[in-house]
Amino acid sequence: MHAAELLQFVIAGLKNGSIYALVALGFTIVYAATGIINFAQGEFYMLGGMVSVFVLGALKVPLAVAIAGGVALTVVVGALVERLALRPRRDAGQLTLIIITIGVSLLLRSVARHAFGANELSLPAFSPGPSVMFMGAAIERQALWVWAITAVSVVGLWLVYEKTSFGRAMKACSISHEAARLMGIDTARVVALAFALAAGLGAIAGAAVTPLTSTAFDVGARIGLKGFAAAILGGLGDFRAAVAGGLALGLVESLSVAYISSTYKDAIALVVLLAVLFLRPQGLFGRMAKEKV
Amino acid sequence: MRGRDSYIAWALVAAAAVAVLALPLLTSDRYLLKVFTFVGLNAIVVTGLALLFGYAGQISLGHAAFFGIGAYASGFVTTKLGWPFLAGLALAVGLSAVGGLLLALPSLRLKGHYLAMATLGFSEIASILFVEAKPITGGNDGLSGIPYAAVGALRFSTPQANYWLVWGVAIAAVLAVSGIVSSRPGRAMAALHGSELGASACGIDPASVKTGAFTVSAGLAGLAGCLYAHVLGFVAPSSFALDTSIVLVAMLVVGGSRSLAGPVAAAALLTLVPFADSILPGLSPATVAFLQEWKGDISGVVIIAVMLFAPGGIAGVVRALRGRFGGPGRPTRAGAVSAGPASVAEEEGSAV
Repeated sequence: MHAAELLQFVIAGLKNGSIYALVALGFTIVYAATGIINFAQGEFYMLGGMVSVFVLGALKVPLAVAIAGGVALTVVVGALVERLALRPRRDAGQLTLIIITIGVSLLLRSVARHAFGANELSLPAFSPGPSVMFMGAAIERQALWVWAITAVSVVGLWLVYEKTSFGRAMKACSISHEAARLMGIDTARVVALAFALAAGLGAIAGAAVTPLTSTAFDVGARIGLKGFAAAILGGLGDFRAAVAGGLALGLVESLSVAYISSTYKDAIALVVLLAVLFLRPQGLFGRMAKEKV
Repeated sequence: MRGRDSYIAWALVAAAAVAVLALPLLTSDRYLLKVFTFVGLNAIVVTGLALLFGYAGQISLGHAAFFGIGAYASGFVTTKLGWPFLAGLALAVGLSAVGGLLLALPSLRLKGHYLAMATLGFSEIASILFVEAKPITGGNDGLSGIPYAAVGALRFSTPQANYWLVWGVAIAAVLAVSGIVSSRPGRAMAALHGSELGASACGIDPASVKTGAFTVSAGLAGLAGCLYAHVLGFVAPSSFALDTSIVLVAMLVVGGSRSLAGPVAAAALLTLVPFADSILPGLSPATVAFLQEWKGDISGVVIIAVMLFAPGGIAGVVRALRGRFGGPGRPTRAGAVSAGPASVAEEEGSAV
């Protein structure tokens, strides 16, 4: 294979990988704060794209405002899901909470189909223009946006975690809710903010990718799975690992298309997910969690 | 030990079985029989899932895939290779059970609900394979011309015969699973609910108990899938998608945990919703159209509402009513597997 051709596949892999990373971050944040896997994470991604398209079409506002609206509304949905559906049963155990997120995912998908229709929808590119050439490979301008947004999100998240009291509260909650509460941390608020943050990251990813791939009411399940695969690949619960897992998954997927076949492209991520569960459940960078007694 | 309650329960089960098996004698409406045959197929899958969810405390989002594996396996070997029905059935059950075992072994050694996500991934892989493995599955066109089930000279070629076949298997499945839950593995599962750590200390290996439950439930889904293929004569990939798995989860949740009757009743209820017009003749077409159009939204709301307000589902409500009107002097049911508070989740300990 030609070097430029290979580079093209690497670029495509890193582009998809950053999207997986943003979705994986959503899983990681909620998991760290609550210990549950949020099956509705993919629906936040779907809502980010769909609501942005809807706001753009209905209100005729500039693209940036439409996307801000899409992300803001998804954040509100994320916080409402936590407040209305999960908080009332927060002491009920993982199985109950996971089933609730499965119900939420089904509900959001069905409501989106009724609200926005069953057709594929798209957004204009953030900055239209021809692709940028780099060492013989073409990079779409939108891909540069995707990378920039991912980088800003990760740095922002790192600052929140390391420099703010909310970040310290999140860390405390991921260690022990009971102890965090005893230290005067409002754990309910932390969990609500974690959901809002996860919803926001998912929505940003969904809006950023819509000009490239278009979106529809039913894209959530598959991207959710891939994001989860990325989170597991890196090691669930650590946000740097989620980013590394996302990029690695994107690369593996893209290179397998280059060298094997594109028929089973979507199956690759799932095979990676199962392989990690089989061989290295703590992820590439994680350490095995000890069971708390 | 359980005295009167136990006799009443058995009498109810026997009465329900007789009523179910007598239906073809009361009606010869082919459409109605077909609809109720589908209820029976879902009852088989849900019985297996109830073992996994209600007793082993795990949830699967991949049972539509095991159902599909059973349907395609038996459909392919009987149609294309000329295998007899029973051999196809054995292959269907074997393949899906082994698939379940391979999936459960690694995921259940981990804490938490990795299995649920693993089953979701498995289900998506299976969906892709059902479409892409054209030489076996026929791709999007599906597999047609699947022969009726036949055992020796006995051929299940009428709607009545197929109805009896499916419900005969369904009743056998319910009895077999209720045998499992009231014997040693069932007590092990009950112990795990009390405290996983405590159960481990008593020599119960949580992972192997849960893996066993998952294997049985995957095998039952494969069995139902095989019957589905031979009853319908045709299988296509759209029947085995994620939506089907989520509908199955809805049946379980509405039915309630630690119960087989509850989930089977919920399976009947939710299977019949899209066919409401043929069951309740007075229903207006607008109502039926609404139910079909908003099926997804309604299922989502129902799943959330049941978990919020009645986490025990139908079984929990029935238990609460029996508790209220049962009166004094009833034998205590502590320790009996079929007793126990409303929800699995309640006893699982706090997740947060």
